Amino acid sequence: MIRAGAPAKLGAMAPALEVNALSRRFGPLTALDGLSFGVAAGRVCGFLGPNGAGKTTTMRAVFGLTELDAGTVRWNGTAVGEEERRRFGYMPEERGLYPTMRVREQLEYLGALHGFSPSAASAAAMTWLERLGLTERADSTVESLSHGNQQRVQLAAALLHAPDLLVLDEPLAGLDPPGIDAIGAVLAEQAAHGCCVLFSSHQLDQVEDLCESVVIIDHGRLVAAGRVDDLAAAGERRLVVRVEGDRDAAWARRIPKVTVSEVDRGAARLVLDPSVDSDEVLRAAMAAGRVTEFGFERRRLSEVFWEALA
Amino acid sequence: MNKNIVPVLIAVAAAVFAAIRIVRRNRRDSDSPYTDTAGARRGTADEGGVSDAVRAMPAAAFGSTAGRETWLVAAREIRERLRGRIFRIGTLILLALIAAAIVVPVLTRGKPHVQQVGLVGSPPGAAQSEIEAQVTADATNTGTTVRFVTEPSVAQARAELGSGRLDLVIVEGQGVRLIVDKPIAAPSTSGSSSLTAPSTTDTFVHAVSLTLGADQAFRAAGLTAGQADRVAHAGPVPITSLQPAAAKSAGTASYLGLVVIFLMLTQYNTWTLAGVAEEKSSRIAEVLLAAIRPGRLVAGKVLGIGLVAFGQAALLGAAAAGLAAAVGSDLLHGTAPAVLASTLIWLVLGYAFSSWVYAAAGSMAERRDQIQGLAFPLMLPSLVGYFFSEAVLGSGASSTLFDVLGYLPPTAPFVMPVLVGLGRVAWWQVAVSALVSILCTIAVARFAVGVYRRSILRTGHRVRLREVFPGRRFPASG
Repeated sequence: MIRAGAPAKLGAMAPALEVNALSRRFGPLTALDGLSFGVAAGRVCGFLGPNGAGKTTTMRAVFGLTELDAGTVRWNGTAVGEEERRRFGYMPEERGLYPTMRVREQLEYLGALHGFSPSAASAAAMTWLERLGLTERADSTVESLSHGNQQRVQLAAALLHAPDLLVLDEPLAGLDPPGIDAIGAVLAEQAAHGCCVLFSSHQLDQVEDLCESVVIIDHGRLVAAGRVDDLAAAGERRLVVRVEGDRDAAWARRIPKVTVSEVDRGAARLVLDPSVDSDEVLRAAMAAGRVTEFGFERRRLSEVFWEALA
Repeated sequence: MNKNIVPVLIAVAAAVFAAIRIVRRNRRDSDSPYTDTAGARRGTADEGGVSDAVRAMPAAAFGSTAGRETWLVAAREIRERLRGRIFRIGTLILLALIAAAIVVPVLTRGKPHVQQVGLVGSPPGAAQSEIEAQVTADATNTGTTVRFVTEPSVAQARAELGSGRLDLVIVEGQGVRLIVDKPIAAPSTSGSSSLTAPSTTDTFVHAVSLTLGADQAFRAAGLTAGQADRVAHAGPVPITSLQPAAAKSAGTASYLGLVVIFLMLTQYNTWTLAGVAEEKSSRIAEVLLAAIRPGRLVAGKVLGIGLVAFGQAALLGAAAAGLAAAVGSDLLHGTAPAVLASTLIWLVLGYAFSSWVYAAAGSMAERRDQIQGLAFPLMLPSLVGYFFSEAVLGSGASSTLFDVLGYLPPTAPFVMPVLVGLGRVAWWQVAVSALVSILCTIAVARFAVGVYRRSILRTGHRVRLREVFPGRRFPASG
């Protein structure tokens, strides 16, 4: 499905959402400090950073929910205004629904606020409730639902009007594995349909599975951004070496300019300085015992994250 | 009486009809451009230009995006409020109270009481029939009828009085004296309120005591029976006043209107405050404000609750007027129709003015328990207006200060209908007060939207007014 106005298939280079030099101070606290990044349409982009890095403030800025000291948010090259925002979907960090309103009516109301006719809003509400397994709870009040189901309703509220941009603040928080899988599948499907998806999370393993690209920020500044594959392939080489009978990789610790990042049941994960010849490492391993595993590995997203923040 | 009720019923019917038409047309309009979600995806881009929050206020502008969104918010509010059990039961209770206030006086008036008068110690003959004739005349003058019973002794008559079989005993011996069971309420000599009016029996007994006293005096002065009768029936000389006679004041209608307007303003303003606070504390506000502007969200809430309030008031007013007409109550005499109309108008104006303030206050609350503390200072002007009005209704004496309060938007909703009921204000004075109220409402609404916009997403602590004063930037939590 090609979306009107979104260069979904024009390649990854043209970002649909552009955040330019955002700055926001709250008194003595600098929440955003000249933050800039872009997210392409048709991508699921993870938005990472420690608590207080400015993720929520950035997401709020996309929806005009916080005043900015400087900077602009652009969508397909134009400054984001009311019309654009009506085509965005938002799931805030602190979930928000009317506790005593019925699930279906709540979704219909939000659909109408995004410009849907009553019948279209009703059809979309039922479609999403069915998709998320909540058809039987359509006439329940929100407060009577479990935490996980409330989360699903909140996601339906963000997706209902088939947005061009989805911004989700920690959508995976507090979900069980089936819930995470369900939401992950929905996000991937939305991106496949050309939607631009930006979501924040602290669950780095899940983000690595779900996202094609990530943006990492700290203290309101960008520290790393790009495709997960590129970020994982970049940086120092990683070797995984397993020597039979070796438990603590003591042999590797004697090699200069090689650090042991972890030893997992006999498999030593080594970080190599660019000047180190991997053959030297192999020889050292063979000297220590019978080598049963030897291979280069990508960086994990968690390693990318920690190295970016370091 | 029926002449008075007909225009009110027509107005209510017209308002209901117009509201249904508007809702239906709005639904048709929003249905037509998009028939499915894919259509909506393409269709929204060409919607009309964006206006500022203040343009959202005239609810009639359903054609614009601002009007449409404001109406969507208002419609949800109306739907959810009408569904509430407290609202339904409350409306029924108010209807029952109004029905009782109208029907009970009519029912008690409907059974004319025959005054039972015992006569003691009067010799049979002409003198007795003369007293009977005078007492009968007094009964006729006070709008009642009389039946005479001859009692053998004062003791017997007292027993009959005590048991309630007699209303009055006339004892003749040396002079005439009257005995009643309970002390009678003195009939009004100055403008006492209709709420403490003496009963018919009290008025009758009072008249009899005056008549018989005068009769004794005339006889003592040596007048013949005929002369005494002429003096006793002397008519007053006519009085001509320079000012036209004021219309009969509508005490009961004014009082009912005052109580209703106070209860409804308190109730619906609290709804607005608590409703905004609920949207803030449940964080739904952040989801809503990602889609629509704050001015429209708050305007929709104010409009929705206002329409529920006005609908309820119109229903109560129509029920009161209809019932009063049907049972022949004198509630709608004098200035009462004007009081009813001005009560409805001031309910709208009073709500329009104060609801914005309450909405802004609601956006500053962090928790539910702060609602009371925020509402109390806002209620003070209403309390002043209410109690002042009640005092004036009770004494019937107004003052310049009271007249001034009739022009101040916070107190005018209570004071103006009372002034109308007393016949103290001309139509143009009502219009001036209404205009002042409307202009102040516009200013207050702008201010309130500014406060609301700055505080609705500011969580973590109760927002202070100086943090959100429009035009200033203050630190806030992230």
